[in-house]
Amino acid sequence: MLFLRRTLPLALAFILGITGIFVFYVPHSTSQLIETELALWDRIIWAFAMLLGIYSLLKLHLGRVRKQQAGWGYSFLVFFGFFLMFIFSVYNSGNGPFVPRSNAPEDPFNWMFQYVQVPADATMFSILAFFIASAAYRTFRARTPEAAILLVAAIIVMLGRVPIGAVISDFFPMASTWLMDVPNLAAKRGILLGVSLGAIATALRIIFGIERAYLGGGE
Amino acid sequence: MKDFLLNIDRRIIFVFVALGVIIPSLTAFKLPIKPTPYVQAIYNTVEEVAKNKGTILISFDYGPGSDAEIQPMALAILRQCFRKGVKVVGMCHWPDAVGLAERAFAEMAAEFSAKSGVDYTFLGYKTGAGTLVLGMGQDFQGAFSQDTQGNNTADLPITRNIRSLTDFDYVIALAAGNTPEQAWIPFGQERYKFKFGVGCTAVMAPDQYPYLQSGQMNGLIGGLAGAAEYETLVNKPGKATGGMGAQSTVHLIIILFIILGNAMYFLYGRQKGGAQ
Repeated sequence: MLFLRRTLPLALAFILGITGIFVFYVPHSTSQLIETELALWDRIIWAFAMLLGIYSLLKLHLGRVRKQQAGWGYSFLVFFGFFLMFIFSVYNSGNGPFVPRSNAPEDPFNWMFQYVQVPADATMFSILAFFIASAAYRTFRARTPEAAILLVAAIIVMLGRVPIGAVISDFFPMASTWLMDVPNLAAKRGILLGVSLGAIATALRIIFGIERAYLGGGE
Repeated sequence: MKDFLLNIDRRIIFVFVALGVIIPSLTAFKLPIKPTPYVQAIYNTVEEVAKNKGTILISFDYGPGSDAEIQPMALAILRQCFRKGVKVVGMCHWPDAVGLAERAFAEMAAEFSAKSGVDYTFLGYKTGAGTLVLGMGQDFQGAFSQDTQGNNTADLPITRNIRSLTDFDYVIALAAGNTPEQAWIPFGQERYKFKFGVGCTAVMAPDQYPYLQSGQMNGLIGGLAGAAEYETLVNKPGKATGGMGAQSTVHLIIILFIILGNAMYFLYGRQKGGAQ
């Protein structure tokens, strides 16, 4: 059991990790063939990971419905939405699941997407504007010199990125462009380099079996 | 009064924001829109592609939550392409982008009488992100063997000569997530050196600047304002242009509330330890 639970995953991570790095940088035809094959395997694993995700989601919400936990009605809606869309997808305008999916607007799957999912998602995100406005008023205070600089920069960018800024003064779009092109770029590049070095270090730790959290915790 | 101004009820702020969206949307509140160089760069590249009647790839990597910001970009780019005879291949890294991409293609194809398989094709969604991009670079027709209508990409007039990502004259990612910096640049542009542009949500735009400076991206359409700039360039105002009045007003309202909050904080709040 220890072999299957620990040794085999560690060996696979090591072999595939080293192979993945090697074939990415070696332009030999054999290396390219291996890379093509590995890329295909990865896509297949992704597809199975999506199935696993659906299973985990449904299992979680089934538990909530069974135990009638607070808000279990929402969990019931997860099942309702999932199975309704699944049935519509299989129905496929009466053509069944083994032909290309219909893109007709009147197809029930497309109709549900266009007139339920799109407005619902868009509404959720549009609510952010209200909360951002309230949060900005409450928290955006020039309590320190650094906060004051951030505040001034934010106001310049907020005005510079919309047409009204140019109507007020050409300074706003120009200053906004400079802020994005110079200080923002410098900060983003620094963050990016730090994150990338961290990601490389973590990847090496996983490949060499130092980092084992992905194997699952505890006994 | 000072307590009221120091701690304005959030519902009052919500009413101001709502009015700031509704009133400009219902009135003919128009503002001049000047395209920025990064948006202009994408437009110019598509114009260059149009001179040779070339083919571009558009990756629809967003969902319904970003529909308001990114769908107008998709429509404006497709409008330019179909108007100028540029062939378009569409694909998705996000499964919920499929319906949005199909809607954009259907709308523009109907307007310009574009034919599926000849003037455009839509390949749909596939898993993999980075490795999908890698696969498309190695063997495009292997990575996407069929379009969403079940036609073989090896047989379609628009894709039969596409063997790799390098065969596209331009690649544009319309993204609401990290696909440009996590998939397209490391596994695609950096390796196969194709011309690459990005349209993204406003909140993502600052993250893209290092790639613009390095030349890995040649242009950037950021948020609804970027989409409005592109609509201005294609000379067909749409939803993004229409939204600029509301967005400008709401930005002004937020700025005024920030100024008010700070004024009250400096007048009274510091003595009381700040607003709650």
